[in-house]
Amino acid sequence: MSTAEPVIVARDVYKVFVARGERRRRRAFLALHNVNLAIPRGRFVSFVGPSGCGKSTLLNMIAGLVRPTEGEIRYKHAPVTAVNTDVGYITQDDNLLPWRTLRENVELALEFRGVALVARRELSARYIQMVGLDGFEHHYPHELSGGMRKRAALIRTLIYDPDVILMDEPFGPLDAQTRVILQDELLKLWEGSGKTVVFVTHDLVEATALSDEIVLFSRAPGTIKQVYDVPLGRPRDVFRILAHPNFPAFFDRLWRDLKEEIMDVELGVS
Amino acid sequence: MGVREAAAPGRLLEPRGDRLLREVEQLERARDRQSRRNTTLGRLAFAVVFLGLWEVASGRFVDQFFVSKPSHIIASLWAMIIKEQLFYHLRFTIIEALVGYVIGAVAGLVLGFVLARSDLVYRIVEPFVVGFYGIPRIALAPLFILWFGIGITSKIAVAAVMVFFIVFINTIAGIRSAPVQLLQVARVMGASEWDLVRKVVFPAATPFIIAALQITVPQAMIGAIVGEFISSNRGVGHLISRAAGWLDTPGLFAGILALLVVVLLMNLGITSFGNYLMRWNPKHGNLRDIQ
Repeated sequence: MSTAEPVIVARDVYKVFVARGERRRRRAFLALHNVNLAIPRGRFVSFVGPSGCGKSTLLNMIAGLVRPTEGEIRYKHAPVTAVNTDVGYITQDDNLLPWRTLRENVELALEFRGVALVARRELSARYIQMVGLDGFEHHYPHELSGGMRKRAALIRTLIYDPDVILMDEPFGPLDAQTRVILQDELLKLWEGSGKTVVFVTHDLVEATALSDEIVLFSRAPGTIKQVYDVPLGRPRDVFRILAHPNFPAFFDRLWRDLKEEIMDVELGVS
Repeated sequence: MGVREAAAPGRLLEPRGDRLLREVEQLERARDRQSRRNTTLGRLAFAVVFLGLWEVASGRFVDQFFVSKPSHIIASLWAMIIKEQLFYHLRFTIIEALVGYVIGAVAGLVLGFVLARSDLVYRIVEPFVVGFYGIPRIALAPLFILWFGIGITSKIAVAAVMVFFIVFINTIAGIRSAPVQLLQVARVMGASEWDLVRKVVFPAATPFIIAALQITVPQAMIGAIVGEFISSNRGVGHLISRAAGWLDTPGLFAGILALLVVVLLMNLGITSFGNYLMRWNPKHGNLRDIQ
C-alpha cells in the first residue's frame, strides 16, 4: 500500500439498513461490518465484490449521502456528517437533468456554487471541447447517445475540480466499445491531475485496467476481504491491457478470491 | 482523445454528402408542410360534413325545436352580438373564469409545494385533502353565492375551487416523482435547498403541473357558468339560461358556441405555454418515426 497521506478513512464502520415495507414485516439487516480502510491521496482505487456487498453503500457514505450506523468516515481528517460537496459523484445513470441542454447540465454545479455567467461559459466550453462534444451544446440529453451523455456526466463533475471523484459503476450501461473508449478517456483526464478516484465496479478487467489499488469486499454482510496493489505501470494502454505480461497472474488471483465469495452464496454455504 | 462515435455537425462537408443532406432536409420540410396542410383540410372537411348533416337532418329527421339548425344558430349568434351585447356578457364570464383559474392554479401550486416538501405535514393533511377533493365541487356553488353574493366574486370562487384541487394534487404528485438520484447528485454538487426546488424538483414536476393546468381550463369555465346559472344578471351563463327560459333553442346553441370558442382559445394559449416549458421532453413518437 502507498505511504501517501490518506484522504479518506473508514474506521470500524457498520451499517444497518431497515427494509421499508409493511410495518410488521420491517426487518433490519447488516449491510457492512467492521470496515476499516484508508484511501491515499491521488490514487485510483476500485471497490469490487459480489452484488449487495455494500460497496456502493460505502461510496455513498464518503459522499455523505448515507451515515454509518456505527464507526466513522473521515474525509481530509474531518468526520463526514453532512453531504460532502467537496467530492464529485458519478453514478451508473448519467443523471443529466432532462430539461437542461448539454451546456446547462455541464454548468449546473457551477451555478450551485455561484460562479458568474461569463466564467461558466468559458469553463464549460473548455471541458465540452476536451471530450469532443463541441457542436452539441444546445442538445437535450435525449438527443445524445449513451456515450455522449456519459462524457457530459463526467465533465460536469470534473468542471468544479473536486479533489476526490466517486464513481459508482459509471460505465455499467454502456456497450463494450464505448466503455473501453471512455475508460481510456477517463485515465487520460485523470493522469497527472492528482485527483483521488474511488471507483465501484463489477468488472475485474475494468478494475485492473484502471486502478492503482483494488479493494475486494466479501459477500453480505460486507467487509473488506483484501486490498491489492495492481502490478501494472503507468501510463496504461487500456485497449491492450490483456496483453500486459503481469495481467494474467494478477487477474487470476483476483478472480479466485472473488469466486470464493460468489460461489459460497450460490451453494448456500455460510 | 479516443474515437468519437458521432460525427460533429458540419463534418459532412464532402460535396456529395452535403448535397444528400440538403435533399433529405428539403424532402422532410416538404413532408411536414404536406402533413400540416392535410391536417387543416381534414379538420375543415370534418366541420363541413358535421354541420352539413346537422343542417340537413334538422327538420327532416329530427324535430327542429330540439336541435335547431346551424344556419339559425349563426343568425341567432349575430342577433345576440348586436341586440344582447354578447361581448359585454362574455367579458364577465371570461374574467370570472380567468381570475378564478389564476387564483386556483397559483394557490394549488404554492400549497402543493409547501406540503410536498415536508413529509410529516403531508401525511397529516393528506386524508383531509382527499376528502375535500371528493366533494362534487359544483355543490359548493350555492354556498359561495350565499357567502359572496350574486356578483362576480362568487363565480370567481367557484371557478377557483374547480381548479385548485386538481392543480394542488397534481403538483404534489409531480414533486414526489422527482428521482432520488437526481436529487442526490445535485446535493453532492453543492445545491442548496432552494437550488434543488428551483432546478430539479420543479422541472421534474412540470409534466404533472402542465397536465393539470390544461385539464382545468374548461373546469374554470364550468365553474363560472354554473355560478351564473344559479344566480346572476350578467354573463354568458345568464344569457344561456334566459334563452332556455324562452325555449329559444338557437339562442341556447349560440351561447354554447360562444363558450366553445373561448375555451378553445384559452386551451391554445396554455398548450403553447406548456410546450415551451416542456421543450426538453422527448417528443411523443408517431407512427412514421418507428417504421
